[in-house]
Amino acid sequence: MHDEATGEEPVGEDGFADDGFDVELLEEELRQAAAILDPVPPQLRQIAVEAYALHDLDARIAELTFDSVVDAIPVRGATDVPRMLTFRAGEVTVDVEVTAQGLMGQVLPPQQARIEVLGGPQTATPVMADDMGRFSSDAPPSGPFALRLRTGGEIVVTEWLRA
Amino acid sequence: MRVGTVPSAAYDDLPYTRGGAVDRADVGALVQSAVDGDAAAWKALVEGLSPLVWSVVRAHRLNDADGHEVYQTVWFRFAQHLGRIREPEKAGSWLASTARHECLKVLKSLRRLTVTSDPQLLDRVSEDRTPEQSLLDSEEAAAETERIRWMWQEFEELGDRCRQLLRVLMASPPPSYQEVSAALGIAVGSIGPLRQRCLRRLRARLDARGAL
Repeated sequence: MHDEATGEEPVGEDGFADDGFDVELLEEELRQAAAILDPVPPQLRQIAVEAYALHDLDARIAELTFDSVVDAIPVRGATDVPRMLTFRAGEVTVDVEVTAQGLMGQVLPPQQARIEVLGGPQTATPVMADDMGRFSSDAPPSGPFALRLRTGGEIVVTEWLRA
Repeated sequence: MRVGTVPSAAYDDLPYTRGGAVDRADVGALVQSAVDGDAAAWKALVEGLSPLVWSVVRAHRLNDADGHEVYQTVWFRFAQHLGRIREPEKAGSWLASTARHECLKVLKSLRRLTVTSDPQLLDRVSEDRTPEQSLLDSEEAAAETERIRWMWQEFEELGDRCRQLLRVLMASPPPSYQEVSAALGIAVGSIGPLRQRCLRRLRARLDARGAL
């Protein structure tokens, strides 16, 4: 597969560079070193296995359409600026603001909704959106989070994101 | 591929060929089985593709806390999008690309906050002991340990570009060039020549040190 990469440094079929050392062997030794010195932490692997519980073919995914980290112009000297996020699934929009104090937001068009703040496969905190669609939680998400909304007859889940 | 040229006896059960343990041809089938409710298929995907995701995180030198969160975010999002991924056989590239974007986002927000914690300073080798690591505790393995640590040190001191590329290439099983491309945002065609150059630089450093 490497051999298709023809560049200034051709490699023979046997994986030897033109100056005679075995690149395959060296890469494989690095692979062994990584497996020993920098492996996937076992607890993370386990969390990934458990993440299977998060798959939900019936829910609609609200995609991230705005993220202040990426899309906003930074304010010089401003510290502790809230993270502003917008998610959209069809006609439903969810605006979220994350600060050190917690999380607040609004479902649009304005409507009541039962919301769960998910923190992983096993963590869900219920929050209610009022009839203006507004909601807030005084527990700021730490690490990855998503919102699961029940509104009208459907379930909408925001894309998983790191707070 | 030159199977069987690896000198070490301790770890040669590791898959060797590019696209090893989870045969990349099977990834699409595993994704489909997971969509259909097969938890074992999901687990096989995690086993086969976790090292790739981890490699992308490490290649970007996030600190441990950020790196762990990115890793989790990537897998949570993959679970969420399961059944909606357009090319299931390219799940590895999907994961690598998602990991890259999340890493870049972290780096961007760090720069914006101008926090004092330099991710490179916080970067360090995992302290969890795996079976492979414990094996190295035995006396006869001491020399091998030393050799591996040397190699790792020299690898860490390569320039950013080489260090990034090699950190992703050394995932196990070896990632495809499409996956490497998705992980680092570099063209597939440039990976081969870059890989050559970076491995040769590492070789030269090791030779200079008199190791291996």
